[in-house]
Amino acid sequence: MNLILKLLFLAVSLTPALTLLTWGDGTLAWPLFGGFELLFELGPLSAFFLLLLALGTPLVALPMARGTPDRAAYGLFALLLLGMQMLLLAGDFLGLFIGWEVMTWSSYLLLIRSTRTTLEGAQTYILFNLASAFLLLAGMLVFYSLTGDFRIAPLTEASAAGRWAVFILLGLAFLIKVGALPLHRWIPLGYDQAPDLFSAVLAGLISKMGLYGLLLLPTLFPDALAGLSGRLLNGPAAGYGLAWIGAITAVVATFKAISQQDIKRLLAYSSIAQLGYVVTAIGVGSSLAVGGAIFQTLVHTLVKLLLFITFAGIVLQTGQRRFNDLGHLIDRMPMAFFAVLIGIIGLAGMPPLPGFAAKYLMFVGLIDARWLLLLAAMMLSSTAAFIYCYRLIYGPFLGHANSPEARTATEAPWSYLVPQVVLMGLLVLLGIFPGFAIEVIVDPVLMTLGLTPIGAPSWGELATPYGGYDGVVLMTVFGGAFVIVTALFWLARGQMRRAGSPYDLSFAGEVPTADTPLHYGAGMGRELRRIPLIGWILAHTTAGVQAGLTRQTLAAAGLLGGLYRRDPQTWTLLAVLVLVVASTLLALNGGWF
Amino acid sequence: MYHKSDCEGFQCEQRMLEANLGQDDAGLGVVERLIGWLRQRSLFVLAYGTGCGAIEMRPLMTSRFDAERFGIIGAATPRQADVLVISGYLAVKTLKRVIRSYEQMQEPKYVIALGSCTINGGMYWDSYNTIKCLDHYIPVDMYINGCMPRPEALIEGFTALQERIRRGEPGGYQRYRDNIDWYKANQRRVFGDNMPPAYTYDWYSEGAT
Amino acid sequence: MHVLLDSLAMIALCYVMGFLFQGFYRQFNARLQRRWGPSIWQNLYDNMKFLLKSETLIHGPMFFFGPMIIAAGAITTLLFVPFLKDSDWLQGVSTHGNLILIIYLLVVGPLGNALAVGSSGNPFGVMGVTRGLTRLMGLEVPFFLGLALVMLQHETTSVHAIMAAQDGIAHWNLITNPIAFAVILLPFIASQNASPFDVVGAPVEVYAGPRVEFGGRLLGVLMTQNMMMTIAKLVLVVDLFLGGASNVLELIAKAFALFLLTTAISAAFPRLKTEQTVDFFWKVPLGLAVLGVVLNVWLI
Ligand code: SF4
Repeated sequence: MNLILKLLFLAVSLTPALTLLTWGDGTLAWPLFGGFELLFELGPLSAFFLLLLALGTPLVALPMARGTPDRAAYGLFALLLLGMQMLLLAGDFLGLFIGWEVMTWSSYLLLIRSTRTTLEGAQTYILFNLASAFLLLAGMLVFYSLTGDFRIAPLTEASAAGRWAVFILLGLAFLIKVGALPLHRWIPLGYDQAPDLFSAVLAGLISKMGLYGLLLLPTLFPDALAGLSGRLLNGPAAGYGLAWIGAITAVVATFKAISQQDIKRLLAYSSIAQLGYVVTAIGVGSSLAVGGAIFQTLVHTLVKLLLFITFAGIVLQTGQRRFNDLGHLIDRMPMAFFAVLIGIIGLAGMPPLPGFAAKYLMFVGLIDARWLLLLAAMMLSSTAAFIYCYRLIYGPFLGHANSPEARTATEAPWSYLVPQVVLMGLLVLLGIFPGFAIEVIVDPVLMTLGLTPIGAPSWGELATPYGGYDGVVLMTVFGGAFVIVTALFWLARGQMRRAGSPYDLSFAGEVPTADTPLHYGAGMGRELRRIPLIGWILAHTTAGVQAGLTRQTLAAAGLLGGLYRRDPQTWTLLAVLVLVVASTLLALNGGWF
Repeated sequence: MYHKSDCEGFQCEQRMLEANLGQDDAGLGVVERLIGWLRQRSLFVLAYGTGCGAIEMRPLMTSRFDAERFGIIGAATPRQADVLVISGYLAVKTLKRVIRSYEQMQEPKYVIALGSCTINGGMYWDSYNTIKCLDHYIPVDMYINGCMPRPEALIEGFTALQERIRRGEPGGYQRYRDNIDWYKANQRRVFGDNMPPAYTYDWYSEGAT
Repeated sequence: MHVLLDSLAMIALCYVMGFLFQGFYRQFNARLQRRWGPSIWQNLYDNMKFLLKSETLIHGPMFFFGPMIIAAGAITTLLFVPFLKDSDWLQGVSTHGNLILIIYLLVVGPLGNALAVGSSGNPFGVMGVTRGLTRLMGLEVPFFLGLALVMLQHETTSVHAIMAAQDGIAHWNLITNPIAFAVILLPFIASQNASPFDVVGAPVEVYAGPRVEFGGRLLGVLMTQNMMMTIAKLVLVVDLFLGGASNVLELIAKAFALFLLTTAISAAFPRLKTEQTVDFFWKVPLGLAVLGVVLNVWLI
């Protein structure tokens, strides 16, 4: 019975792949009330995101199917898949909205199944996501009032005010889902408190639905948003604001990530930062930048799935989730070490993994748009990311084991390892063949968005008008150099031995023991606070800012209320005064405005 | 040699030094000679400022005497150092650190001991807490005596050491390896149970790869 | 075959230039301090001495692979930098790369080595790594922005194209885009780990920082790659701002001139703390860079 259930669950997890393979070109219309119908079709943009789903879901479902089956979770997961596929396939806003709601509620119910979920976390999650859904609803109603149709199609004839309304409402709805500042509060709480494997889905797949929405915007406003309000420098003016939102999100979230003590919270903040890059690139809107955005979406999905699944395995094996309580797992969990290593190389956007190709396209896109200040912000965020990436690998895997569990842990079960291996393989392959990803995955999407495809002379090469690089050559040179250097060194190594104890350290002549605080994982990043800018950012939390706003509002209300507290004569007099002043102004002005 | 009755500690040392001084480097191949020459041209010094003699290390390194022209330069950690300079008297407490640092250095490694204190306790000869003869605890390659030796003397000592390295003579580390039990027994005599951990030297007996 | 020979020639040239330049640096500093200083070959001796050490201690496999990664990273980086223009030689694989790739490759090795430092378990080493990463965060922003100004000027990221566009001294980017050069100069010094931004690996700062546990031959490998990397970075800046070089002598002359400039700056200033470094980079060079952006992009 259990086995059948699990097999069924795994089969369900394959549905996105099946949809992707079998859909073809057809459209499916489902008549609803009053002449409305639900329209489903599979364009290249949806196909791209469906591909992410198809890759991700089986890999998460495999470890989820381990142990005693959790029927409710399986059911909700199936519902979630249904919702996401529905919103991707939807050809009109109705289907999109229904899918969005299904996704929101099923993911909420999955989230609160974790024992770690607090009331605050759950409330924040559902409030922000409902806000997103209602903004979407509002946006789509405005859209309907402008066009008289729910179909997702370019919005060309509408008035400027109407177009801006749609742009802002939809943009906000999707930015909440992506987690742009200051609308990101639900992400660290949610990703942190969700069941460990479900966090992978949240970060890897569900957040991508927000990006899908953002990428719909260029469809609605063709000519890469430039139709909306002209151009600034060499890019669309409307995207400039969006790009800055993305860049500031990336910078602030990166510093927040550095200061986290909990692995999953760090990953959550890094997710926010990484998607910030994508938002920036979408704001630029040129084919290079959007190509980079799509590439980054792909890489980020793979990387975050890999990292969250791996850390879920570590939490499973050790029960510890803070940097302070882990350490030196490299000997005990080598597979997880490699997974995280590949993951952080991808996350940091280092060559030769594909994160670099994505970064490269985005950087070149920014240079092309001549938005160099944004480029500086992106660069700041992506170099600061090295610090949290180093923490991610140092805290759990290097240094000294800091808890009894970390001293005895063993490698995670195979159902965790298989997805890790698959994802690592995909990342390395994409890194060697960036041209392949461009040709097969990115270009079709660019063409539907009405942008010129980037193209690639060969699978190994990434070519842009600004120059490119060859992934195969890069990998060969680096690998060759590594092998040659290692071989030479090994041949001439002389007498090499391994330290007899982890405490055989240069420690100013002292002998450290197990009680010496040697694991630097916890303190890392603390000294960054001494840098004024970072200190300022870290001293302010969004929650604090929002609470401050509330306080200010209350104070203002209290001030107003103070006017009413006295005896009736006073406020009657006040009312008369206001009336007099207002009518005088009206008279002087000659009518309303 | 240490079991002979006619010399002890630094005397043996001195005798070995003198015995070798007149010798040329016959029997060495070109490669060994080159290696020895390169090694002697570059000495990274871990200066252990144990006693008052440490004060003379500064003028040695700075502009007046400029040891850098001999390729002698300070190292930050024992891992990178070639020469351990013990500058003066050693209390039992410091000796422990010295031994630990010495064992953490990577071979070939040498020890230079400054001042009469390291030779026989010097003016602390009757102190309850000072090591009288450093050579019983770690192998000293070169003594520079005086109380305290001037930088000129230090340079003299360093060049003598360089000369020995150039000729490819086995340094004290070889002696330490061969007689590790004797050294450890001596160390145990002063430390009692308070010995530094064994993992920095116990591989001597196993034969590393 | 040609590529292999060419690569070997580049590596050898880098190494020789590396120890000579660094030897010169030590001489220069010594003369400033009124001493004789070591011979100009001293860095070769030091390096050889470490490579010839008979004992090496490691702290596990990752500790061993760290220096290998950093050496491989250095070799990869220098092979992606074209040394000469209009020549078949000393090109490496630079036609397959670009400037942004090189900037990223510069940090691949140190990050690989950071893993080794971490796996040694020495907290001082990790402290040094954190400082290094922090400094990197500070320097990279103005450095990259300065280079972006050059990339924007030539509308390409290819070093070859940028080099080819600077025919004649009047077209050197140093002349045509002086702000960009001023912007990258100090971050460039920091990326060379030279004074006054050398807090990361300096011997007296947290116990030698990242190198604290490395000894014996591994330290030799680290020194070797450091020398090669120094030259690769110098050549990169020569390519970008001084018009590149068409033969080896010219290359050495230009690189040496640049090196002399950075050395003179290094010798004159005392060391900054990490956070001072970052703060400085985000105020002065970055401010200058923003000015450059405003001048180049907004006002034209
Ligand atoms: S020999 Fe003299 S100067 Fe040196 S430590 Fe002993 S007492 Fe001090």
